[in-house]
Amino acid sequence: MKMVGGFLKDVVKNKVFLLMVLPGALWFLFFSYIPMFGTVIAFKEYRFSRDGFWASIVNSDWVGFDNFKFLFSTNDAYIITRNTLLYNIAFIVLGLVLSVVMAVVLSELVNKKLAKVYQTGMFLPYFLSWVIVGYFAFSFLSSQRGMLNQVFAYFGWEPVQWYSDPKFWPYILILVILWKAVGYNSVVYLASIMGIDKSLYEAAMIDGANKWQQIRSITIPMLSPIITIMTLLAVGKIFYADFGLFYQVPRDSGTLYSVTNVIDTYVYRGLKTTGEIGMSTAAGLYQSLVGFILVITSNAIVRKYNKDGALF
Amino acid sequence: MILAKKKQRDFHQLSTPWNVVFNLFAGIFAFLCVFPFLFVVIISLTDEGTLAREGYRLIPSEWSFEAYKYVFQTGDTLLRSYGVTIFVTVVGTIISLLFIAFYSYAISRKSFKYRNFFSFFAFFTMLFNGGLVPTYIVVTQLLGLKDTIWSLILPLAVNAFYIMILRTFYSTSVPDAIIESGKIDGAGEFGTFIRLVLPLSLPGLATIALFSTLGYWNDWFNALLYIDNPNLVPLQSMLMRIETNLQFILQNSQNSSLGLEALRNMPQDTSRMAMVVLATGPIIFAYPFFQRYFIQGLTVGAVKE
Amino acid sequence: MSRKRKSFSLVLTTLLATTLVVSACGSKADNGTNTAGSGGEGASNEPTAELIWYTIGVPQKDLALVNEEINKYTKEKINATVDIKMIDFGDYTQKMQVMAASGEPMDIMFTASWAFDYVQNARKGAFMEIDELLEKHGQGIKETLDPAFLEGSKVDGHNYGVPANKELPAQEVWRFNDELVKKYNLDIKSVRSMESLEPLLKTIKENEPDVTPLALVKDFMPLMPFDYVIEKLPMAVYLDTKDYKVVNLFETPELKSALDTMRKFYQAGYISPEVATTTSVEDLYKSGKWFTDRASTQPLAENLWSASYGYPVTTTPAGDAYTFNWSVMGSMQAISANSEHPEKAMEFLNLLNTDPVLRNMVDSGIEGTHYEKIGDNKMKNLPDAKNYDMPTFSLGNLLITYLNENDPDNKWELFKEFNESGIDAPLLGFNFDATKVSKEIAAVQNVKEEYWSSLMTGTVDPATYIAKANEKFKAAGLDTVIAEVQSQLDAWRAANNK
Repeated sequence: MKMVGGFLKDVVKNKVFLLMVLPGALWFLFFSYIPMFGTVIAFKEYRFSRDGFWASIVNSDWVGFDNFKFLFSTNDAYIITRNTLLYNIAFIVLGLVLSVVMAVVLSELVNKKLAKVYQTGMFLPYFLSWVIVGYFAFSFLSSQRGMLNQVFAYFGWEPVQWYSDPKFWPYILILVILWKAVGYNSVVYLASIMGIDKSLYEAAMIDGANKWQQIRSITIPMLSPIITIMTLLAVGKIFYADFGLFYQVPRDSGTLYSVTNVIDTYVYRGLKTTGEIGMSTAAGLYQSLVGFILVITSNAIVRKYNKDGALF
Repeated sequence: MILAKKKQRDFHQLSTPWNVVFNLFAGIFAFLCVFPFLFVVIISLTDEGTLAREGYRLIPSEWSFEAYKYVFQTGDTLLRSYGVTIFVTVVGTIISLLFIAFYSYAISRKSFKYRNFFSFFAFFTMLFNGGLVPTYIVVTQLLGLKDTIWSLILPLAVNAFYIMILRTFYSTSVPDAIIESGKIDGAGEFGTFIRLVLPLSLPGLATIALFSTLGYWNDWFNALLYIDNPNLVPLQSMLMRIETNLQFILQNSQNSSLGLEALRNMPQDTSRMAMVVLATGPIIFAYPFFQRYFIQGLTVGAVKE
Repeated sequence: MSRKRKSFSLVLTTLLATTLVVSACGSKADNGTNTAGSGGEGASNEPTAELIWYTIGVPQKDLALVNEEINKYTKEKINATVDIKMIDFGDYTQKMQVMAASGEPMDIMFTASWAFDYVQNARKGAFMEIDELLEKHGQGIKETLDPAFLEGSKVDGHNYGVPANKELPAQEVWRFNDELVKKYNLDIKSVRSMESLEPLLKTIKENEPDVTPLALVKDFMPLMPFDYVIEKLPMAVYLDTKDYKVVNLFETPELKSALDTMRKFYQAGYISPEVATTTSVEDLYKSGKWFTDRASTQPLAENLWSASYGYPVTTTPAGDAYTFNWSVMGSMQAISANSEHPEKAMEFLNLLNTDPVLRNMVDSGIEGTHYEKIGDNKMKNLPDAKNYDMPTFSLGNLLITYLNENDPDNKWELFKEFNESGIDAPLLGFNFDATKVSKEIAAVQNVKEEYWSSLMTGTVDPATYIAKANEKFKAAGLDTVIAEVQSQLDAWRAANNK
């Protein structure tokens, strides 16, 4: 009874905040939490029932962890896990460095008009679908008509069969994703820099700090909370790969699979013929779980050092 | 005002050599980003036959407006799609900014007892989702949104990623002291939020508004799932349908009847590129509207006084 | 301050209200359809049944207009109306999967071996079994269709869909750019096997440096005498098999010799060096810079090809016409498992496949608006036809559609002859149930994607890669899959006296 009373008191005390989270919380309930019940399909052999989806779930047979097995059954499992993890780590680290550098550079440019033009330009790749990015990559890398091989021919170098030689692809893929994402991601950092209290810089000036010292001792530390959050969030997605990047850009070339096959492409190719939604749900659940464990762990570490920097 | 600007210049300016280096760095990267897009424009203006003969060329031997003529043939369909996209983008961005701004402010405040719970409540949805079919059922059967414009707006209204970013913006760019000062002035939590916090978080809010604008503008998947009515098809979805149709038909070209019948009316390379230009063009002009908040920053003094 | 607070609560209340209203609307709409549905079912044939029909193709501008005309006609004929909903080719499979899984109300839907997979979804329970309905309301269908269609599209002994009456067997032909054939006076009639093609390719390669002699895409596969259990997976029986033994394609001499030839062609430069990643050679067709390729044919296909490329294309057979499972299931209409009006749906399908008026209205639109008749069964497109251009083959019986003005009068006779010429493939009517080995199939499929294109197009050396691929297939569990296929096949043979 007392607990209930205490709870009610808390609710009243926090009522403004609770009202503020209410619309969002309802949204999460409808669009995220209710659909989450569907995840049980991962443990079922899904068959349609004429009374709709939930009836189908109830009527389908339990199969335990069978739906997960295809992810681990061959030695491809090692390759796809390695590729997914390594590429994501590379994207997180390089993407972070480049985006922050770009944001600092843009914020420091003397001519703001130019800064705006640059920034608008950097955003354009975000609008091109992977299919179209794939065309461009091809117009550079095609062995017959590609620009790179034409340049090579001009210098008298041997042409390269780009789409059948795996050794270049880790670099190509990382370049492409950076090219596509840096403009978008740097906005977050740029906005954070703009939110920094200008009086901090004034004070630093009075102390005789030069530009570099200001960047090092004011801009970067003030950016660290957002950097932490962005990194934590990216860690949660570390088992997911951008399907379009790994499928469209290498033109689904079989000889490149050793460096381009990731969990998402493996699942897509594997389930193309059978279309078992149980198995694709299982794959998604596995990706989420690993991400979840990693975030919880890294969040705990962050919390230990800086309580406010953590996600929750 | 002039004085403030001048003063800002003094302590906030880069030395000329470094300015040149920075300009080169940002400029070259920006060029690399713009270049493919220019290429898209060029291809869309290339003569179809020339493209088949010569492949992609920076300066094609024959130019043509055929592709745009082809796209505009559909006339009102294209215009209606623009209408749908613009409506969804504007209304969606407003709704989503409201939802996200309130939610993230609440969980950024240390005095909110349940902040950790609600942070986690949001964050958890970033990792786990129920998948396509259950979401589809909620939208169509529980909420009954199938074939309505709301099925393009509501599913994208809230996003935990944005909430987490905006929460961080609030807590870094709005010092606690300001909120305390608001309290002392006798403003309630809500008054403090509107009068003191919002103006200080404009760069953050603009970022979220921009992201959500782009999200709505680029979305085609919700239309694929929920829209049957051809009058409610947004622009990106139109573009995407052309792309996926083409890929699908090419993949199944060994099927004789499909190959013979379906391929004959497929738009060509040039018209697809023209679609990309038409679908991206307008949003580029909307961009500067947000940009001023995170390129120039705020005239902080004005807010504080 | 208090005013501010009030306005804030107002905002929230409004937001909440919106959400509530929206959801309320939703449930109301839901109830609406439910009552309508049950009403139709309850009172036998008095109220008009409203059928929902999902079919494949680019949505057409004038669909609503034509739909209205169709309904006038069907209401009178069978007291039913249809609501035609078209979904684009590329989206069809995904959207239908989601809708079927969520129990969306629908009555009729398009299905095929290549879109919203017929066998798979029949097994999962998406379609209603129609054996009895066909007997009761589908006599017209049974009369018009070549029996091989209904026999070949049985899944585990039952019919789940109505195949469209169209070309039944599949036959591969070599297509030639006739301008080049004439220019070098080449004898194409002597061509049939890959090897017999070589002298011609050689001539072209030597004289026309800009032309791709053999225009292939990554999906290409040399013609071999097999009937595959699953398309493009290396398990098959020989076309002339007597014992129905399932063989591993990678252990057959046929594959070895076919790939040796491909490799030879590739190294001689007859094939584009980038063939293993090429998805389309449309640009070659458009510019005429190709000499030959292989394609599935149907009667009069040469005319269609020539018309669409703008220069003459000739063909010569590359193999015999065989009736495969997938060619039988090239285009079907099924009744949804959750249909409220299965009987009316079957009546409608029966009418669609037998009644030329309805069939042509669905296909070509309204007479006088989209087309005009220029003979008993001939028509001519009017300018507005571009607003109603449907994929004819997907909408039922092809053989009762009006001929176009350029078609020869005996077009449909040619189709009938072609259909009769088809030889039944050994696995016709057998559909493998992959449920028990879905894990292995997923792995095998990945191995296939890795090696298939580069091997089949001659891009890599078969001497080493056949063994390499085979080893990986075995590691992925191909033998387990083959054993499962064999046991199901043996059971099927016993049940069907094959």
